[in-house]
Amino acid sequence: MIERWALVSGLRGDLETYDLIQRDLKKTRGVTALFVLGDLVGPERNCDALLDRLRNPHRGDLKPDCIYGWWEEQLLAERGFRGERKADALRLSQGEDAVSALLNTVNPSHLKWLASLQFGFIELDCALIHGSSSDVADNLTSETSPLILLDRLTRLNVNRLFTARSTKQFHLELTGGGIKSQVKDLNGKREQQQEVPKRSVIGIGAGVNYTLYDIGSDKTHFLTAGSENKAKSKGFI
Amino acid sequence: MNHAIISCLHANLPAAEAVLNDIDRQGIDTITCLGDLVGYGPQPNEVVELIRKRGIATCQGCWDEDIIDGLNACECSYPSQLAERRGHLAHQWTDDQLTDENKSFLASLPTSLRRDRLLFVHGSPNSQHEYLLPDMDAFAALERVETAGADILFCGHTHQPYVREFRDGSIRVRLQNADHANDQGEELTLPMRKIVNAGSVGEPRHGSTNATYVIHNDATDEVEIKEVAYDVGRTCQAIVEAGLPKVFAWRLSHGFEFAEQAEDASHVCER
Repeated sequence: MIERWALVSGLRGDLETYDLIQRDLKKTRGVTALFVLGDLVGPERNCDALLDRLRNPHRGDLKPDCIYGWWEEQLLAERGFRGERKADALRLSQGEDAVSALLNTVNPSHLKWLASLQFGFIELDCALIHGSSSDVADNLTSETSPLILLDRLTRLNVNRLFTARSTKQFHLELTGGGIKSQVKDLNGKREQQQEVPKRSVIGIGAGVNYTLYDIGSDKTHFLTAGSENKAKSKGFI
Repeated sequence: MNHAIISCLHANLPAAEAVLNDIDRQGIDTITCLGDLVGYGPQPNEVVELIRKRGIATCQGCWDEDIIDGLNACECSYPSQLAERRGHLAHQWTDDQLTDENKSFLASLPTSLRRDRLLFVHGSPNSQHEYLLPDMDAFAALERVETAGADILFCGHTHQPYVREFRDGSIRVRLQNADHANDQGEELTLPMRKIVNAGSVGEPRHGSTNATYVIHNDATDEVEIKEVAYDVGRTCQAIVEAGLPKVFAWRLSHGFEFAEQAEDASHVCER
């Protein structure tokens, strides 16, 4: 039997998009889990309706498992949930107005729940994180140096890292290679050789662009909510 | 030209004096210190003042940082609860002893120093608390050097001196694009890079009681690991007389810290 995960991110308060994704998933075979990899909130629109739906799924909804993303990190920092840190990254990149806008989009009654969300999930041999094992803001893309990608995988000792921060959809496989090194210390010299493990980094997209992952076959399907997905995925869905 | 790199002096004045004398005897003028001037040892003010007096370029170590910022690191700082309790005792004692002037000096230290293609840090470019152990994952170790934009990364923190050279590295990747129609394969050739760990002047843990440091020749890139004997007994006696945990004297007299090594070298302290 096919078993699939649905991976979503970057909804940023967009209930309509979330509803479209839920409708898609109802029509898709084998989806057993829905992971929302952060950026549930954003400054563009009021996020309360989406947060209510995520926390209290409708009958028939696939129950979402959520982690926090970059926007939640900014919101929680500004609201005092991150010690002395504030929304410095947002303030620096988009200014004070963006910070104010973000604060106004989320009712404080949601903050405790948002603060309870985890940094990431480890499922099977996969890590599901908004950015990476390095930081929630880590912006991994298909252009990122494979050395950095391998480092992020190594830190967690996983074979697959699902990331959302870049908002891009990509599936980069590390297929081979190796490295030699020599260590010299006061006891002498020794040679070391290490092979590149077969591992992958998968960008899951954002908003209407989401990803299905077949855990049995290790296949990813990059989809767009509400569109004719069968054409894009060559009928595998 | 030869230059010397020292690290982890840990308030051990006899060891610091012996190493600096050894460097002076070789006519080496340029010395770089990778931090941890204080902690564990009995002469924090004397060691800080020696470094200040000599005008040695120094970056901040994890102990120097903790003395200034307080003990707010996560649990990764110590490998066991016993070690943590002893470390906290040493932290409090050092905090009580250090003059405001010397604390200000420690606070002023940069987290890294760079000279052309050479980068000097205490732990790693990511954190003063991260261990770059000699046998850690080679790709992760190389990533630290490459991401920092260095050819040679000088570090300390492990108290074990070593030189690790990376070569013949490559990573093959294949991109599966969104439309599944454009599979590509390519190979990244990894650069040759080097990590040099200076060991420890004041609290060696490489199996000998001798202080260690390294000499790097910037023309040939040759690195020599140096060992210097000093009066260990004098420091051990001062540790006991200061009321610091006696185990600090014991491990100094053995050159090894049994059962107290970082288990997760890849973990980065999240403050």
